[in-house]
Amino acid sequence: MDVPDDRRYSIDHEWVLATGDRVRVGITDYAQDALGDVVYVELPQVGLEVRAGESLGEVESTKSVSEIYAPIGGRVTAVNSELADAPERMNSSPYDQGWICELDVADQSSIHGLLDAAGYRELTEG
Amino acid sequence: MPAASLHTSPLDRVHVELGAKMIEFGGWHMPLAYEAGTVAEHRACRTGAAVFDVSHLGTVELSGPGSGDRVQETLTNDLARIAPGRAQYSHLLDADGSVADDVIVWWLDVDRFHVMPNASNTDRVRAALGGEDVTASRAVLSVQGPDARRVLAEVSGPAAAVGHFGVSPFVWAGRDCVAAGTGYTGEDGVECAVPEAVAEELWAAVTAAGAVPAGLGARDTLRLEAGLPLFGHELGPGITPLQAGLGWVVAWEKPTFVGRDALWRERCDGPRRHLVGLRFDGRQPARQGDPVLSTGEVIGEVTSGNFSPMLGIGIALALVGTDAGVGEGDRISARVRGRELAATVVPTRFWPPPVARQPGQPPAPPAAPPEGPAEEVPQSPPAPPSGHRAR
Repeated sequence: MDVPDDRRYSIDHEWVLATGDRVRVGITDYAQDALGDVVYVELPQVGLEVRAGESLGEVESTKSVSEIYAPIGGRVTAVNSELADAPERMNSSPYDQGWICELDVADQSSIHGLLDAAGYRELTEG
Repeated sequence: MPAASLHTSPLDRVHVELGAKMIEFGGWHMPLAYEAGTVAEHRACRTGAAVFDVSHLGTVELSGPGSGDRVQETLTNDLARIAPGRAQYSHLLDADGSVADDVIVWWLDVDRFHVMPNASNTDRVRAALGGEDVTASRAVLSVQGPDARRVLAEVSGPAAAVGHFGVSPFVWAGRDCVAAGTGYTGEDGVECAVPEAVAEELWAAVTAAGAVPAGLGARDTLRLEAGLPLFGHELGPGITPLQAGLGWVVAWEKPTFVGRDALWRERCDGPRRHLVGLRFDGRQPARQGDPVLSTGEVIGEVTSGNFSPMLGIGIALALVGTDAGVGEGDRISARVRGRELAATVVPTRFWPPPVARQPGQPPAPPAAPPEGPAEEVPQSPPAPPSGHRAR
């Protein structure tokens, strides 16, 4: 499974990539593989305020529905609207074209509470 | 490795080597999807040829004098409608008229039948019919799709030549096998029952000829698009053949079959609910158990729902109350986790889509009765990674 070193990971299989004062959020390669073919994504509303662990939306695959949890708290500033018509990008490009949303994060240091790539590899391969 | 308590197909090693996602299904360790994924496997079956391992289906063999009578007095359909060398879709009912299982009967010879139940119902069907459970002695490979016969012909001409709903012996690798022109995808195809010793060899030959391996995930989306019922969803305790829209499976001309009295009463009173198709406006489907609403009132519930790879939208089958009076073209909704998804009531067969009528042409004739499914697909998906709660 692909686990890029440039970002942090939650134990719920989301990734967080810092981009200046914002972070971008998506699901991991491990998560998309376990879900199977993604056919629908319920994206959050721009402006939604979430705390870590709260729901950011839903991912529906041919076999199940799964919740997306906010890996850290913040306010949604952008969503990947391309996923509405091409949710399969979460399978084909989970770390790039398959991103879900961007968060304005009040406490940037909260990202350090997440797993680094080595820690996430240990979680999924251990 | 599968848990020791699970049955394994003679093709188990092949699936694992192909990198299939394996799941427990009906007590069997079976492939959900291969690396291509469910949607790609689905499209391969609609546009070319796919091969499914359906060895988890049961085979109950009845042979000797009186075998036909036992089938005839127990199941709902009428063997007098067919003949040796033909297959028939039929139901085993409970005394209350509920569908205890749906089966395919392969009439091999005058006094010899193979009855194929759903994996989890094999014991129940054998108890009702007698006979011998020979499931473990064979594999069943189902080659389906518009190119299925062309692909299979490269492997076995006789197997590929079996007629639609025909049943015919053939010899493969020196072994006695059976081909049947049956399936569960809405496409033409052939199911081959072969001794387990040659199963891997046949799988290799069929895939080398161009059939794409497809798992139970694609089997489920294919059967749903084709409007074929699945035990545990559209059929099961409390659901009769009449409610499921399968009155054609019930041969009223027969004086006896299990459940006839209860079903006759329902026929006289009229079924209290019936199966409809739902076509959602967007990609999101409702799923089994989600309530169906009309003008704010709950009128029934979804029995199966998924994304349709061919139509690109969510589709579902639902049992709705007859009193609600909804029909084709009506706008209704399904409640999915607190939200209402708008849908149009449509025929239960979603694929192929109805041909648009030209002005002045008469209406298209009604669709042929569904082909006989005799199988089931995952009802509880494998657990996604922790934190992603499946529902």
